[in-house]
Amino acid sequence: MGVGEFLSGGVADVRRTARGFRWGRRGQVPRSAEPYVLPQHSTVFDTGWARRPAVMAAREIAQKVGLEPLFRSQVHTRVEGLDVLERLDGPVIFVANHASHLDTPLLLLSLPDAWRRKTAVAAAADYFFDTWWKAVGSSLVFNTFPIDRRGGSMAATPGEVLADGWSLVVYPEGTRSRDGWLQGFRMGAAFLAQTHDVPVVPVAHRGTFAAMPRGAGWPSRTDGRRREVTVRFGEPLRAAEGESVREFAPRIKDAVAALLDEERTSWYEAQLRRSAGTTPDPSGPDVAAWRRVWEQTEPVAGDAVGRGRPTPWDRVRTEARVRAKAALKR
Amino acid sequence: MSRPGFVLEVDDRTPPLVVHEGLGFRMEEFPLGTRVVYPPESLPAIDDVDGAIRDALLNPVDSEPLPELLFSGMRLTIAFDDLSLPLPTMQRPDVRQRVIEAVLTLAAAAGVDDVEIIAANALHRRMNAAELEHIVGERVFRSFYPQGKLYNFDAEDRDALAHLGTTDEGEDVEISKRAAESDLLVYVNLNLVAMDGGHKSVGVGLSSYTSLKHHHTAKTMVHSRSFMDHKASKMHHSAWRMGRLIKDHVKVFQIETTVNNDVFPKPFDFLMKREWEWNLKDQASMLAARRGLAVAPQKLRHKIFHDMRAPYGLTGVNAGEVEAVHERTIAKVHQQQLVEVDGYSDVLVLGVPYLGPYNVNSSMNPILATCMGLGYYFNSYRGHPMVKRGGAVILYHPLNEGFNQLHHPSYVDFYEEVLAETTDPQVIGEKYEKQFAEDPWYRHLYRTSNAYHGVHPFYMWYWAAHAMDHVGDVVWVGGDRKVAKRLGFRAASSLNDALEMVSGSVGTSPSITYLHNPPHILADVKV
Repeated sequence: MGVGEFLSGGVADVRRTARGFRWGRRGQVPRSAEPYVLPQHSTVFDTGWARRPAVMAAREIAQKVGLEPLFRSQVHTRVEGLDVLERLDGPVIFVANHASHLDTPLLLLSLPDAWRRKTAVAAAADYFFDTWWKAVGSSLVFNTFPIDRRGGSMAATPGEVLADGWSLVVYPEGTRSRDGWLQGFRMGAAFLAQTHDVPVVPVAHRGTFAAMPRGAGWPSRTDGRRREVTVRFGEPLRAAEGESVREFAPRIKDAVAALLDEERTSWYEAQLRRSAGTTPDPSGPDVAAWRRVWEQTEPVAGDAVGRGRPTPWDRVRTEARVRAKAALKR
Repeated sequence: MSRPGFVLEVDDRTPPLVVHEGLGFRMEEFPLGTRVVYPPESLPAIDDVDGAIRDALLNPVDSEPLPELLFSGMRLTIAFDDLSLPLPTMQRPDVRQRVIEAVLTLAAAAGVDDVEIIAANALHRRMNAAELEHIVGERVFRSFYPQGKLYNFDAEDRDALAHLGTTDEGEDVEISKRAAESDLLVYVNLNLVAMDGGHKSVGVGLSSYTSLKHHHTAKTMVHSRSFMDHKASKMHHSAWRMGRLIKDHVKVFQIETTVNNDVFPKPFDFLMKREWEWNLKDQASMLAARRGLAVAPQKLRHKIFHDMRAPYGLTGVNAGEVEAVHERTIAKVHQQQLVEVDGYSDVLVLGVPYLGPYNVNSSMNPILATCMGLGYYFNSYRGHPMVKRGGAVILYHPLNEGFNQLHHPSYVDFYEEVLAETTDPQVIGEKYEKQFAEDPWYRHLYRTSNAYHGVHPFYMWYWAAHAMDHVGDVVWVGGDRKVAKRLGFRAASSLNDALEMVSGSVGTSPSITYLHNPPHILADVKV
C-alpha cells in the first residue's frame, strides 16, 4: 500500500466516521434500537467546584464578556416584573416554562447582578452531564447542577444547593416543549419550596420557542431582524400552612399560565380572567400539531411583523400620525 | 443484566456497521431498511467457576455423582474437545483445564491409577504440545504428556479403534478402543454453538472415517435444517443413533460447559458493542485499527488476530447423562445466542471473519472461508433459513490467504484438482471422496504431522451444501475474482456492485438481512 492510498483511505474512514457517528452533534439511536437502549445510569458529577469564589469570578467574566454580548446580538430581549425581587432577600426558586435553550440565558441575564451571581440552574443529568465537556461547560457558564429526570442519586441535591443560600432555576416540565405550549408540571419544585420553606417566583418566557425551538442550534431572525424574546417575573408564591405538594404544584402552574396570559394581553385583563378562573389553558388548544406550532411561532410584540399586544406608545404614535396627516391636509 | 439480541432496521440514524472480512473489518453503510441481526449481550459469567464445576460433578443429571463412579483399579479415560473450540482460543485458564483438574482431583482421591486423556480431534489435525498444554493446563500436561497418557486421537490407527456394531440404519460405529474399553469415559466439552455437544462429542470426536462417512455427506447436510438445531439435523440424528449404541458399550459421563459472548479482548472489544453506542474512544480505536491493519503486512495482521485470546466467561456447567445434560446446555446456548427474526429476506449478508474451527493458528483458505460463510453462518438459524429459496448470499472475505501446507495439504489438491472439475458437493462426494480419504500420503501426514485428514476438505464443502442448494447467487465482496470463480461464485468490489449483480434473481430493491456476527448468533426465523 502506497502512502497516498494509506492517507486517502484514512481520510475516507474519518469522513465516513464523522458523518455516520455525527461528530459535533448529539449521537442518535436508530429508531428500531430505541427499545433496547439501557436507561443511562446517573453519573455522580460533583458540581460543588462551580460555586466556589474563583469559579464564580470566572463565570462573571464568561457571562458578562462572552455570553451577554453574544446573546443580545442575536435576540432582542424584554424583561418585565423584576420589581418582585426587590421585596425578597433570600434564596428563591424560579419556576419557568421551558421551550428553548434560550430560556436559561434569558432568565439569568435578566436578573439583577446580585441575584444572578447567586442563582444555580437545575439541568438534566442525562443531557447536560452525559459528557465531561458538556458538564464542565454548563456548570462553568450557567452554574448548572445535575438532576436526574429518571430518579437516581446525585452528588449535590437541589436541597443542599438551596441550603447553601443559592436560588434555583427549575423547569418543572422536565424538558423543552415540543410545540411551545406548556406541558405538565412535575412536583419537584413545589416539594422543594415546601420542604425548604422558600418562595417560588413564577417566570414566563415567550418567543424563545419561535426563536430557537428544539433541534435549532442558533436563534433565527425574522426579516433579518433579531427576534424579540420576553421574560416576565410574577408575584412570589409560598406554600400555605397545611397545603400539600399536590395542591401547591397546580398553583404554581396557574401562576405561570397567568403570566403567559398577561404577556399576550395586559396585567389587569389577566388578573380578571385569573379571578374568574378563565385563564386560557396554557397547554394550548386540542388541534392538529402543526396548528399548535404555528400559533407558537407567531412573532411576539416588537418583531417586524404581526405586532401582538399594543403598547401605550402605540396609541401615542398613532394619534401623532393622525394629527400630522390632518395638519398636512389643512 | 445483559440485553437480548434484536433485529435492527437500518434508518437515517444508523451509523456505518462493522462487517468482518478475514484479517480485517470494514465499516459498511447498508441500504435503508436492511435488517441487521444483533446477538444478545454477554450473559453474566459465573464467579465461582471451581465451585460450579464441583457442584456439577457431585450433583449430575440422571447419573450417579462422579465420585461414586471412580474406584481404584479402574480404567478411566478423559476425552476433551480439541482446539476447534472455542473460537477464538480462550484466555488461560481454559475451562476444560479447570474441569479436567476437578475430575482428576476426584480420581486421585479414589486411587485411580490408569488414566488416559485424549484430545477428541477425530479427523482434525493433531495439536502440538503447546496447543495441548493451553487447553489442559500446565499441571495436567506435566503429569500426563511425558508418559504418553495425554495424546491426540488417531482415527487411522487400526489397532486403537474398536468397532462397536451398527445402528438400526446400518451405520458403523467405530471409536477409540481405549475409550470403548474403559470403565468410565468422561467427556469434557466446551459447547460454543448449538451444533456442538451431545452424542456428537464421543460419536464424532473419538470416531474414525468408517463412522463419519455415514453422516458427513452432501445429502445429509442438505437435509440438516439446520445443523445448528440437532432436532432438525440429519447429521445429528445419525450421531444420536450412534451415541445411543455407544452408551450400551461404555459408561459415558458427559460434562458440558457453555460460555458467554465475550469474544474480543481489549483493544478490540469495541467490535462487540452496538455501533450507535460507540463512544469517541471506540471510534478512535476503530480508526486506529483500520489504519494499522491497512498498513500492516499480511503476516503481521495474521499474528495480530490469531494471537487474540477471548476473555470468555463460563455461563453454565452440567454433568451426567449425555442427552439430559445436552438439553440443559442447549437451553443455555439459546439464552446466549438466540434472536427471533421475523421471516426471511431476498438477500443474506455475512461477514466472514479471520477465524473458523479449522484454521486456528492457521490460514483461512478459500474452502474454509466458504465453509465458514455458507456453512456455519448460513446455518446459524432455527426454523427457516434467513434467506428465501433462490435468494442471494453476499459474503465478505478477500479469499487471499492461500493454503497452509502443513495443516491443509489435501485442501490444496481439492482446490486445484477437484474444484477445477466441479463444485457440486454431491458429485464431488461420489467421485472423489474415497480417493482422498484413503490416500496413504494424506493418512501419513494426518498421523505423523499436523495435517487435517485427506477427506476433511470434502466435509468442509458438504458443510456448505445446504446453502448452495438453497440459494441462487453467491457473491464475495472484496474477494479475489479468480479464487471466487474457482469456487463457483462471483466477486464484487462493493456491496452496491454485489446487489447489482444479484438483481437478476432478487430484483433491484431486495429485502436484505445482515447477520452481525461474531459474537455468535442463532437466528430463530419465524415464517
